[in-house]
Amino acid sequence: MSEILAVEARHLTVRFGDFAAVKDVSFTVRPGEIFGFLGANGAGKTTTIRVLCGLLAPTEGVVRVGGIGFENGAEPIKRKVGYMSQKFTLYDDLTVEENFDFTSSLRKLDPAIAARRRQELLDFISFSRPLDTFVRDLPGGLRQQVSLAAALLHDPEIVFLDEPTAGVSPAARALFWALIRKLAASGKTIFVTTHYMDEAEYCGRIALMRSGELIALDSPEGLKRSTFPAPLYELSPRSEGARIRIPELKRDPAIASLEAYGIRFHVAPRSEPEWERALPELRGDFEIRRIQPSLEDVFIRLVEGGNR
Amino acid sequence: MKLSRALAISRKEVRHILRDPFTLLLALVLPVLTTIIFGYAIEFNMRNIPTAVHDGDRTLSSRTLLESFGSSRYYLLEPATGTPEAVQALSADRARAAIIIEPGFEARLRSGRGAKAQLIIDGSDNSAAGAILGYLAGVQSIAAARLLDPAPPPSAIALEPRFLFNPELNSRWFIVPGLTVVVIAILSILLTSLTVAREWENGSMELLLSTPVEPVEIIVGKLLPYTVMGLAGMFLIYLGARVVFSVPFAGSHLAYLLASALFLAACLGQGLLISVLLRKQQLSMQFAMLSGLLPSILLSGFIFPIEHMPLFFRILTSILPPRWFILASRQIHLQGAGIADIAQPLLMLSLIAAALVGLASRKFKRDLEP
Amino acid sequence: METPGGIGITLRELRKRLGTNDALQGLSLEFSEGKMHGLIGPEGAGKTTLLRTLLGLLRADSGEILYRDGGAPAPLAKLRSDIAYMPQQQSLYPDLSIGEHLEFFKTLYGIADDEFTRQRQELLSITRLAPFVDRPAGQLSGGMYKKLGLMCALLRSPRAMLLDEPTNGVDPISRREFWELLHELSSRKILIIVATAYMDEAERCAEVHLIEEGRRVAEGEPQALLAAAGARGFDELFLKNNAKEARP
Repeated sequence: MSEILAVEARHLTVRFGDFAAVKDVSFTVRPGEIFGFLGANGAGKTTTIRVLCGLLAPTEGVVRVGGIGFENGAEPIKRKVGYMSQKFTLYDDLTVEENFDFTSSLRKLDPAIAARRRQELLDFISFSRPLDTFVRDLPGGLRQQVSLAAALLHDPEIVFLDEPTAGVSPAARALFWALIRKLAASGKTIFVTTHYMDEAEYCGRIALMRSGELIALDSPEGLKRSTFPAPLYELSPRSEGARIRIPELKRDPAIASLEAYGIRFHVAPRSEPEWERALPELRGDFEIRRIQPSLEDVFIRLVEGGNR
Repeated sequence: MKLSRALAISRKEVRHILRDPFTLLLALVLPVLTTIIFGYAIEFNMRNIPTAVHDGDRTLSSRTLLESFGSSRYYLLEPATGTPEAVQALSADRARAAIIIEPGFEARLRSGRGAKAQLIIDGSDNSAAGAILGYLAGVQSIAAARLLDPAPPPSAIALEPRFLFNPELNSRWFIVPGLTVVVIAILSILLTSLTVAREWENGSMELLLSTPVEPVEIIVGKLLPYTVMGLAGMFLIYLGARVVFSVPFAGSHLAYLLASALFLAACLGQGLLISVLLRKQQLSMQFAMLSGLLPSILLSGFIFPIEHMPLFFRILTSILPPRWFILASRQIHLQGAGIADIAQPLLMLSLIAAALVGLASRKFKRDLEP
Repeated sequence: METPGGIGITLRELRKRLGTNDALQGLSLEFSEGKMHGLIGPEGAGKTTLLRTLLGLLRADSGEILYRDGGAPAPLAKLRSDIAYMPQQQSLYPDLSIGEHLEFFKTLYGIADDEFTRQRQELLSITRLAPFVDRPAGQLSGGMYKKLGLMCALLRSPRAMLLDEPTNGVDPISRREFWELLHELSSRKILIIVATAYMDEAERCAEVHLIEEGRRVAEGEPQALLAAAGARGFDELFLKNNAKEARP
């Protein structure tokens, strides 16, 4: 049985003049999947999302969303997708209720259905404030949740979230991701971009973009395994003096890569025997433990590795 | 205040202006276009006004009076059979005015009791009524001269009314200098009203305020480029007026430049004040349109003569820049005034400009307090 | 004082009400000379209000702010041109290029030509923005935009820097580059106060101040704070704190 793919991009290319923002990108997203779309600023993420939402026509290639292509214009696609971006979400000077009313009238929803959906969604995000609260009076985290609810009002099959949690506190981010997982469990397809690598861990699969090209596509675990076949170690300096040794260590032949993480450092050894030899001496200055690579390690290795 | 910092603001502002074709279009093309369109569209001149006439006296004197009207080119006389018929012609729109001379006109004239004739004007068209009345003064004085002085033969008196300063009574000559005021007032107030508000909306004000730059430097820096642009706009209108409408320019160009610069400064100050107070582009724009348009059209003497306004409005107009600039502009264009002749308007414009710019600097907030 | 010659700031019982919102509710903090201080807290905690108040962009309703220069009290007015600020919200001109921004701020700060030429070159090379010098700010990527903001702030070699969530919306690589720049600055022993919502960034500061609802929750060296809370990272610490508060 072949199920309908939620998102399908085949040899997608988008050019602005002679600048190619997206170059020959192909991927598919299954219904109910949380699909993470990562990359540096300017890697072509937003352009791709705009194409998938029907806001921009591809220069080359084929895009199908919810099984529908562009043959009949963008309108049928727009009905299937919900879109929420960090930049424009809600009108600050309207109340929560007015924002919902506006969205539902834009989508030409039946008022009775819209009212029922609104209540369901407000319950879904556990919204407990009065509906006549002005959006500008909501804390940032709550605003994101309301704006997610507004994007879901027309019951889209696929939800595109473009950096939905930028600038939101860790607690609010955790809450937001709990909602996203609940949505995916209920069968919605989630297509999300983020700069928080800890969030990317929640994704079923991750596509990594660099300069308009797709450079990796796998589950978080798969990405970590393929990027770091050898183990990774975390070095915590025991003193300020130990910190001074870092530039010297970066040149050490036993070390393939060394990157700063907060106050600690992540080290990928070049080979296990060489590393074993260097270890006893390093233990004097650093507390060393073996760690699982994080997606941030992966991101930096893959994206930056290509730049060098 | 450091000039270098003000100039840095100016340079930045010039870049904004040059990169926004809309601003340039608004500032340079629109004034000329508006002046030409309005100059052709507003036509206060009237010739051959259909005038119903009932001469109940039928004497030499009454005929002389009517002849004065008839030969003036402005009135086209249509005899009516009686007073009611003359009035009827008015209400049926066959005539715009009616002249009625009661029996006994000559007898009263002769006896020195003061002869009266009635002129009825269709008041439903304000500007036409104004024009008809305007011509009347000329006709009346000529008729009076002919009727009261028995000595010279009628042919010795020229029938053409002489209007001082605008002998052809060409309304475009009157209108174009007035239009300059309206167009420049709206434009300069509008453009400047956006500049400070834009910094607030853009978020750049927060950064600006954290630098050593002082409010007065921001204000002066923002005024400079718009003054230059405004003067350029005025020059274009001046060219248009001279070339397209052949508006005479009898007075001193230096005086005109001075008055223009002062008027512009006052308008820019007004725009800045709006921007500083409101901090929102859209709000500023609406307020600028309102406060730029209304006074310059209604309270400037452009359309409605100030002398005919109630006292309150006469006082009000004296603190509005358009009134003074229109006065100066007409005196320079048509009466050949020099700087000394327009000392009062110049003084008033300087005072108003200084007050507005000063107020804008004072009200300029140095912090982000709501 | 550990590093005389630098700028230091002490806050006592700072209160500030904005509309109906008590942004700062008796906040007392110590920003010592030459250190990098992290302000962390959820949105609405009062971080932005605090930074704006420190810069004199907002006036506190009560409490006091004591500025020091080289250990001696100094009024803000005298320090103003030594303190650089990078606001959270976009504050550059979208139609002006990188080069034009630098030139504009050069004149505002009154930087001499030769110093400017040197600074400009150095900043463009360490931010790797030199190839984009003619690109308008409106067309820069998020990371580049933030770096341009930082460049404008650094142009005058400030002695103190206040940064409000400087890496918000910036990808991990640009974020690392940005922090490398900050550490480079910090090594010059200038006072840096940085508000952030990224917990791994908090760890990079010499001292962190946890703020919630306009009050100080905790402060100290990052490792000491983590050790005391038994958390491995600030994410964890924060979530623990929040979980505690969420319970009635």
